[in-house]
Amino acid sequence: MGVHENTYDSTVGAYLLLLPTLVAIVAFLYYPSLQTLRFSFFQTFLFGQNTRFVGLANFTELLSSQVYLTSVGLTIAFAAIVVVGSLAVGLAVAFLLYEVSDGKAAYLIAAIWPYALPTAVAGTVLLFLAHPSVGIYTHYMEAWFGVELDWFTVGWQGFAVVAVAAIWKQIGYNVIFMLAALNNVPESLNEACRLDGIETWRRLVRVYIPLMSPTLVFLVVINTIYAFFGSFALIDLMTQGGPTNATNLMIYQLYRDAFQFNNLGLASAQSVILFVLVAGLTFVQLRVSDRYAHY
Amino acid sequence: MSLDTEDTAVGARENEPLSVISDTRLVPGQWRVHLGLIGSILLMASPLLLAFVMSTQTVPEVYDITNVGIGSDGVANYVEVFTTYGMASYMFNSLVMSIVVTVAKIAVSLLAAVALVFYDFRFKNAIFFLILFTLMFPVPVRIVPLYEMMAALGWTNTLLALTGPYVASATAVFLLRQHFMSIPDSLVESAKVDGVGPLRFLWDVLIPMSRGMISGLSVITFIYAWNQYLWPLIVVSDQNKQVVQVGMKYLQSVGNAGQTDWGLIMAGAVLTLLPPLLALVAFRGPLLETFGLSE
Repeated sequence: MGVHENTYDSTVGAYLLLLPTLVAIVAFLYYPSLQTLRFSFFQTFLFGQNTRFVGLANFTELLSSQVYLTSVGLTIAFAAIVVVGSLAVGLAVAFLLYEVSDGKAAYLIAAIWPYALPTAVAGTVLLFLAHPSVGIYTHYMEAWFGVELDWFTVGWQGFAVVAVAAIWKQIGYNVIFMLAALNNVPESLNEACRLDGIETWRRLVRVYIPLMSPTLVFLVVINTIYAFFGSFALIDLMTQGGPTNATNLMIYQLYRDAFQFNNLGLASAQSVILFVLVAGLTFVQLRVSDRYAHY
Repeated sequence: MSLDTEDTAVGARENEPLSVISDTRLVPGQWRVHLGLIGSILLMASPLLLAFVMSTQTVPEVYDITNVGIGSDGVANYVEVFTTYGMASYMFNSLVMSIVVTVAKIAVSLLAAVALVFYDFRFKNAIFFLILFTLMFPVPVRIVPLYEMMAALGWTNTLLALTGPYVASATAVFLLRQHFMSIPDSLVESAKVDGVGPLRFLWDVLIPMSRGMISGLSVITFIYAWNQYLWPLIVVSDQNKQVVQVGMKYLQSVGNAGQTDWGLIMAGAVLTLLPPLLALVAFRGPLLETFGLSE
């Protein structure tokens, strides 16, 4: 397969070079992942001191638990909102960056910096600025729109604040990839659009978005995985799953079952379910990219 | 690349590198693009600007919600969070963790990429697939056994536990492999003729040739490691060994007489953001190039 693969011809040498990677993936990735699968068939009790084989009982317990099913539904809704929100904002900013002809480098760095924003910082800053009693955002929202906001007790408001934090943190990443895709649009096509006098908005929807579709599919998957896993810090710092479980995403439920209730078997079954979701999404991405790859 | 299609002056300058666009005269018809960019950049930056302003305020000034002027506390919050609330040790721990993860990941991945590109050996494709497939196992998928493993090894609260699970990297191996495959045949041939060993070849030829890619990967890895939250939260219980992201959680409880000291917490948030932000700004060139986007 490779172009230089006959440079060295020692199988032992190759495996020695691969050894650190192989040791690390077996010890820290494959072995624990298989253990997760094994744990998921066991019930743990006495705070993790004792275990008993229970077959699929953990899974049936989860799938018949109203709390867990609600958590799955919340997670899917959360992922949908975060994906649509961060892709829409990302696309708007990337398109503006693509269009601008002066000061591009300065705009670029000013727009992509949220890539470096730690999730915990995003969560802490918004926890304060949107705080129901001392937050300046809440203060002006209430003053300007005459609404009463208290996302510490109203479920959907808590959900919305966490979603905004998640979208904010993810914009930089999306802008980088979308701008790279836009830059790949052939110059001749831009020329043709200009000569035909196609207006900006239609150019974006009819020409650029179809051409960017492989990148967009990739970003949908990456952003979904981020919404599933990466939002943990936001929940832990801002809402702890509340109010009344309104932000109890699957990752947070898993954390609570594993490390607060020491219910390791049940938590492992949740890990397995998350793995199936990630693997399924990735599979869909590969299939869709194969079919719609334009360039 | 202009917003208005009737603007023909743009075509001529389109292919010029950004740096040579020195005249400050705005391209006519672009004011909407500039307005959109400035608006969205301000919107994305406003939480941090507010956080920064309020990090200079005293507790009474913070609780005077509409006060958005620079406070009278100056840098006192920064000094206090550093000296009294453990921020110095959190940041030091994060720095050590991020640097160790970055150096180890790049080193281990370089060796693996050399084996995959410059050697021909049995099961090569299978091993490459095995490395790529680890993308399916984010930390939450294997978190329970991974924690059990660290506890059994007595590694909890150590640097080994913080960094070990992050050493192997499908992304780094994949990108370095791609990069090495694009190296011209002539260079590889001359190394072969001179009888240069693989490690020497890596050190003398490959690394100097891959500086951009390696710096880009390093920044990505550094930012990624610095922003980790869930794994340190679980595997480190000794507050003195904790990283800065989880340190943000400890800071939340700081306050007097029921009044949370938000100014101090915002100072902590600003400090936590600084290292990855500086890394992003300093290495934006190689970072963007690694993502397929050159400035």
